[in-house]
Amino acid sequence: MTLQHLRQSQTKQPVSAEAQAALVAKHPCFSKEGHRYARMHLPVAPACNIQCNYCNRKFDCSNETRPGVVSKLLSPAMAARRFEKVKQHVPETQVVGIAGPGDPLANPKATLASLKAISKIDEDVHLCVSTNGLALVDQLDALLAAGVKHLTITINCIDADIGQKIYPWVYFNQQRLRGRKAAQTLIDRQLLGLEAAIKAGMLVKVNTVLIPGINDFHIDSLAKELGRFGAFIHNIMPLISDPAHGTYFGLMGQREPSKRELDLARQSAGQSMAQMTHCQQCRADAVGKLGQDIDLAAIEQDNAVADSTLRVAVATSSNQLIDQHFGHATQFLSYLVSAESIEQQRSIDWQQYCSGSDQCADDKQQDLNQLSQFNTVLCSRIGHTPLQELSDLGVEVNTKYALREIKEALLEIQQSLINQVKPAKRTVCNAGECS
Amino acid sequence: MSVSITKDCIACFACKEVCPQKAISSGQSAFSVIAHRCNECSDNPNGPQCAHICPVETAIVDNKGQALNPLGSLTGLPQDLNVIALSN
Ligand code: SF4
Ligand code: SF4
Repeated sequence: MTLQHLRQSQTKQPVSAEAQAALVAKHPCFSKEGHRYARMHLPVAPACNIQCNYCNRKFDCSNETRPGVVSKLLSPAMAARRFEKVKQHVPETQVVGIAGPGDPLANPKATLASLKAISKIDEDVHLCVSTNGLALVDQLDALLAAGVKHLTITINCIDADIGQKIYPWVYFNQQRLRGRKAAQTLIDRQLLGLEAAIKAGMLVKVNTVLIPGINDFHIDSLAKELGRFGAFIHNIMPLISDPAHGTYFGLMGQREPSKRELDLARQSAGQSMAQMTHCQQCRADAVGKLGQDIDLAAIEQDNAVADSTLRVAVATSSNQLIDQHFGHATQFLSYLVSAESIEQQRSIDWQQYCSGSDQCADDKQQDLNQLSQFNTVLCSRIGHTPLQELSDLGVEVNTKYALREIKEALLEIQQSLINQVKPAKRTVCNAGECS
Repeated sequence: MSVSITKDCIACFACKEVCPQKAISSGQSAFSVIAHRCNECSDNPNGPQCAHICPVETAIVDNKGQALNPLGSLTGLPQDLNVIALSN
């Protein structure tokens, strides 16, 4: 199917043809021509709300390169920092996607915070999200507000009898559903989400995992339905079922499709949906141009040197001692510490985090994002909730200098910075973790 | 009254996303339940939310140490593939 043909057939697309062409051109996952531009996946979303039989949630080993696998999770602040670094090395990075390792929309806070942080750094970047679709209708407005225009939904079937062979369970409405009901719920929500996203002007790609004997005979009717909804492109991917990955399909001997079966499926689905054939099934932390992944370790090692400045926030009431409880602080002094110098920066005005009782109110949702620019926060004490939230943001909290002089603490931090030998070489695998 | 998390946990954060009491603590290597916050979701007719979404069997146990998702209950995998082969 030609692009011309495609545009005509997609009368339901409310986006203008030019706008759509612009959205497509620079995206390596939506158009073959987009391969000149680089993409970057940020692994910020570990949780998932469904289980698929081709997935094993024990993501851990950096040796593996199958989809959905990452070796290290990032906090939103770390994700933004990684984007900045990669952009310096690969200025063609036009696309930032969040694809897992779980379902981005099952981690709405981390996903949205990351997207927002990225678009603050580079407002022209294309943001995209891949989802199983279960929570799509709930999160669509938030995604649109964050500027997401590219969406990928993985839809393997539209028949719950098939679905129950692919999804053992689905967590929806505060409970774990199983069997046909689970599959039907997921499919209903996927189609609702698909329709709503297209109506809202998003460019929607649909991924389908081709599973011989399970959904191969159904691909045609699926593609027809997707075409009717106005999905932009269809990406049929072969099942990967190496038993070593420990997936249900892998362990149960479900076979992978042959190249010929894949071609046939794409051909027949191509009658109703434009097909994507250049997908590389990348990992959820892939970086670079398609097929030329960049060695992240090298980039991060390289930057370890440039990284040898620390931003330190200090909670103090006397401006002399580190004598303020984090929750009571109304401002933070800000310092830039490097091996050569300690510079005081503009301090940060702060809305007090809690009223003062030792047990911070749990429902208090003060936005700690503003502190994500710091590496370390020094204070006399801190409650569990903000401590956890800061660590989620990648900010270290240090109370060991409580009631000591600020100057003294900063000097000690500087000393440890100087002593820091160059970071140890990254080992490929943590012993025992990859079997 | 509190559930707890065992060493089988794979640190996927799912329970933390759904716990209404913010009772799940995600340490560097291990997750745990802050006992005084967890009420075992006693006000929810469906019961412990963490156990409803956890993808790993035996990762969450009740206060008697019983797995809320016993072996075999989530993956549907036969418990011992060898035994099946033997019975043929
Ligand atoms: S049982 Fe409920 S309150 Fe307790 S940890 Fe699990 S989700 Fe949270
Ligand atoms: S949902 Fe289960 S596996 Fe995931 S972090 Fe919680 S206890 Fe661990």
